[in-house]
Amino acid sequence: ISQRAKDEKTRKLLSRIIRVDQAGELGADRIYAGQIAVLGNTPVGPIIQEMKEQEQEHLETFNKLIVEKRVRPTALLPLWNIAGFALGAGTALLGKEGAMACTVAVESVIGEHYNSQIRDLMEDDPEKHKELIKKLSKFRDDELHHHDTGLEHDAEKAPMYDALSQVIKVGCIGAIWLSERI
Amino acid sequence: MAAPCINRFALIFRSISRTALSRCNRNGGRFMSTSTGDRNPPQDTSSGPGGSASSQTSNGGYNTQRTGQGAQYSDELDNSEDLVSEVEEEEMPEETEEEYQTKQAVLKASLPFVHQYGWTKKAIVAGAESLGMPSMVHGMFPRGGAELVFYFYEESNKELESFLKQKVTELKEKDEKIKTGPFIHDAIETRLRMIIPYIDKWPQAMAIQTLPQNAVQSWTNLSRVVDDIWFYAGDKSNDFNWYTKRGSLAAVYKSTEIYLIQDRSEDYTDTWNFLENRLEDVVSAGHLARNLQETNTVLSEGAKGFCVMTRNLLGMNNR
Repeated sequence: ISQRAKDEKTRKLLSRIIRVDQAGELGADRIYAGQIAVLGNTPVGPIIQEMKEQEQEHLETFNKLIVEKRVRPTALLPLWNIAGFALGAGTALLGKEGAMACTVAVESVIGEHYNSQIRDLMEDDPEKHKELIKKLSKFRDDELHHHDTGLEHDAEKAPMYDALSQVIKVGCIGAIWLSERI
Repeated sequence: MAAPCINRFALIFRSISRTALSRCNRNGGRFMSTSTGDRNPPQDTSSGPGGSASSQTSNGGYNTQRTGQGAQYSDELDNSEDLVSEVEEEEMPEETEEEYQTKQAVLKASLPFVHQYGWTKKAIVAGAESLGMPSMVHGMFPRGGAELVFYFYEESNKELESFLKQKVTELKEKDEKIKTGPFIHDAIETRLRMIIPYIDKWPQAMAIQTLPQNAVQSWTNLSRVVDDIWFYAGDKSNDFNWYTKRGSLAAVYKSTEIYLIQDRSEDYTDTWNFLENRLEDVVSAGHLARNLQETNTVLSEGAKGFCVMTRNLLGMNNR
């Protein structure tokens, strides 16, 4: 396999990963923004605010990577902007448990997604991607922390928890699939 | 009573999501559709009684699907066969380094023959023969003349990129800031001037690029040009602006290219004036968009204020 083809493969992998991660962090940030819009004044507000700030940090990292690695951002960014806010606000209207259930569902999908990305990068070239793998590992740990926070705050007591959780997970997976390609 | 319904709902979704999730995780790449299709050429052209070494390598590289010729395959090709089954082929065929270099050499040698034969297989054959290769080498180029067009386009893009890099380094040394407008103008002018040596046959090249089977690659080439220009001009956008900037520049580039091929002025000065006007249009469109946004804000604030005033007048304020 020619060097050119190999480089092309790595470039495609990298750009797919960074593109979908930027979209994911923007979506997560907007979900928390929607939840704060509804639940901002309740006791759970500060917790969501803290999680939102961490997502903002992640988003800034990926924004920088997009420019650095010359990656095309996904064309669906405006869509995820609106959809994320709607999802956050919608689940928050079901109460604090609904918001937490949404967080748990989204973060578990994102956690597994980060893991598969780290695996792909290690498979491709663990030395070259060391920086990125470290960053992704840290972000994955943050997301899993959010997941646990959600569970601590009675996510499972949300109405129709199973159905809600599954719908949100499928939606997230669909969004990830789309952002990787478009 | 609703609970069993909802449980079934949940079970269905769980199974869908598990399948989707596991598929997404395991077969990350395989979902990608091969938009340009598999690059399997009509097998017969390259599988003649291969005498020379080059046609044998070309044979193996493309015909990895065939199982009959096991003995002739070298280890290299066997490895690439495994890769073929794992990695999806998008626009990048699984080719060896040697194959790639051979093709580049042939295409480079074919360019001078474009004036005579146009962007066709004949030109490729003439180029190959000028290098001492058999004419059957044209089997390495399943898309015929289009391959020559793409090679020329990609080489010009590389030249443009080195020009842009050099310009940026120069400006950095002089510690000057990049003036976006003139920079972009120069970049497009440089890139279009590379076409001028082949301008007699360029309309044919443009027509070839609009054919549906070539459209995707042409689009990729064009987006490469505008992405390079914007990147070296210092664009740092990471949201939807990324698309609007490149889309508008692509439109300018394409329209100027079309103007260029029918321009008869001295040194194509009319074309560069046309380019300047189109770039100005883009700038004023940007201003228009901003003005519209500001007007929108002002108007909506005004409308809100009017509603509040009406409410106050009617005495409906918090009583």
